[in-house]
Amino acid sequence: MDFYSMAIGLMQNTLRTATPVVLAALGCLLTDHVGMMNIGVDGMMLIGAFAAVMGSWLLGSWVLGIAVALGIGLVLGLLYGVFVIKLKSDEFIIGVALNVFAGGLTTFLLRAMTGQTGTFHAEGGLSVLPRFSLSFLDSIPVIGPLLNNNTLLVYISWLLVLACWLLIYRTPLGFWMRSAGEHPQSLRSAGKSPEKIKYLASLLCGMLACLAGAHLSMGYLSTFSENMSNSRGFIAVACVIFGRSNPPKVFLAALLFGFIDALGMRLQSVGISSNLTSIFPYVGTVLMMVLVVWRAERRKRRMSL
Amino acid sequence: MKKITALLLVMLMVLSLVPAMAEEAEAPSVAVVVAGTLGDQGFYDSSDTGRQKLEADGIASRTTIIECKEDASLYEMSLITAAEDYDIVVAVGWQFWDPLTAVVPDFPENKFIFIDNGLDGVGENLMSIIYKQSEGSFLVGYIAAKLSVTGKVGVVGGEDVDNINDFIVGYEAGAAYGNPDIEVVRRYANGYEDPANGKECATALYNEGCDIVFAVAGKTGEGVFAAAAETGNYAIGVDSDQKFIDPEHILCSMIKSVDKSFYDVVADMDGMFQGGMIWTADMANGYIDVAYGTDDMPQQVSDELKAEVEDIKNKILSGEIVVPSTLN
Repeated sequence: MDFYSMAIGLMQNTLRTATPVVLAALGCLLTDHVGMMNIGVDGMMLIGAFAAVMGSWLLGSWVLGIAVALGIGLVLGLLYGVFVIKLKSDEFIIGVALNVFAGGLTTFLLRAMTGQTGTFHAEGGLSVLPRFSLSFLDSIPVIGPLLNNNTLLVYISWLLVLACWLLIYRTPLGFWMRSAGEHPQSLRSAGKSPEKIKYLASLLCGMLACLAGAHLSMGYLSTFSENMSNSRGFIAVACVIFGRSNPPKVFLAALLFGFIDALGMRLQSVGISSNLTSIFPYVGTVLMMVLVVWRAERRKRRMSL
Repeated sequence: MKKITALLLVMLMVLSLVPAMAEEAEAPSVAVVVAGTLGDQGFYDSSDTGRQKLEADGIASRTTIIECKEDASLYEMSLITAAEDYDIVVAVGWQFWDPLTAVVPDFPENKFIFIDNGLDGVGENLMSIIYKQSEGSFLVGYIAAKLSVTGKVGVVGGEDVDNINDFIVGYEAGAAYGNPDIEVVRRYANGYEDPANGKECATALYNEGCDIVFAVAGKTGEGVFAAAAETGNYAIGVDSDQKFIDPEHILCSMIKSVDKSFYDVVADMDGMFQGGMIWTADMANGYIDVAYGTDDMPQQVSDELKAEVEDIKNKILSGEIVVPSTLN
């Protein structure tokens, strides 16, 4: 076991672990910008994972599976929007409700639709996301193994990070989104409806979170398993907070989480107890939280001078 | 108005006692309470199979299953709910130690069967069943060592706890018996419900040069099978015959017949139920074994090797080979 292949394995693991978190975090940060942060992304992700697998199984193609997941994402986004924007409920309560609801709903539907429990085993296999490789990249060390042999959604997630950054900071729509969150009155006086902008963010969030779920069930694994999101949505929410809702920073935060996770698992082989390595992500969370607060405090002090 | 309501409530309470008194003997009712979730194709599903068989064979008049979904706050409540309505309560999962200690004395009329952990001294109505999983793991460890090309095999455990480690030490001993130079790498996934994490653990093991990985982690183990398929390596299943999940990449499975063990006890309550005792289900009485799927599946384990395994099984039964264990 040489150092190079170990490091590559670590980086590949980081990337794989981070991708579903990044997609969910992008959805979450859009809702954060319009002032209604969705902590229900974990539940949306789970429903997305289920919808994608069921879509692919019933319709026989991974493309349609993704399409079903995106469609369900729109419905979920609309639902969240109606409750938070129209009915003016507290977004945290709705988020929590969504997470609980998703766990029960997917378990129930899995058992009702397929008669199977726990993990779904499709007869004759399931159409899952294909992997892409470019042969000329293989000759390049480090970059080759990292860029090759990923599923489509991994590359899309990178593009989406850029697209979200452009949308929020470089387009009028992004400007309206931020003002809908920070000062909706001024947006209204400019003749724009903050509610419409909020609905848009909510719909996008639903689609992105369901895409994250679809990647988890059809790209990362190739089956649906009950509660398979396993709190990855909450890690996404944490990344949004650490990255201050700035897409590239959120992406880095997700990579850092993935790295801590992957490293912790590998440290077991040098004799560190698994009980100790399992707390690494949480220690990381606390340290990052302290850093965020400390930097915010310093900025505030500098502003007041 | 208040008085009438109170009167009605009292009557309701009295009435609710009537059916409880009227119910007598016949076939007992059985509730199975599992610590995790069904669908692991192993430990918990096996207990559900046992429950269904009890009802189908008419040994139990009615049965139910309660899933606690790894939520420790539900353990005690679920046991109480089950005991209030059913004669025999089967608690499946080592996690029920403390909840049973608290609940069993409150229900002297019920019988409790504790699966996978040895608890005694709580009451005459509790019997524990523990399993010599190390013996079966020894056999699959031997198979892994014989079939490994790289001389390195791995195991993914759910958690670093005695019950899981019992599988692992048996596996390690079996592997060393098959090939003294074998290297066994163990890794814990820290959970039984996250196949994605199981896949990462197994992928890391395969990348380190292991070519066979034993999955001892419930649903997390599904990820081990996925990693085996993706990297073109092999895996070994656990608890029930899991080869059907992926016959091309699962060599064999270590069988721990949870279903059969408590089925037999419930079927013969007068003879087998020993209150306050810990009963060991092992290879000698047929509750621990190795399974290779059905004949129409590709068999990576040759008939000669299967014969060797039978031979070792006899040596374990005769006491010639002593398998280490983390229990007791």
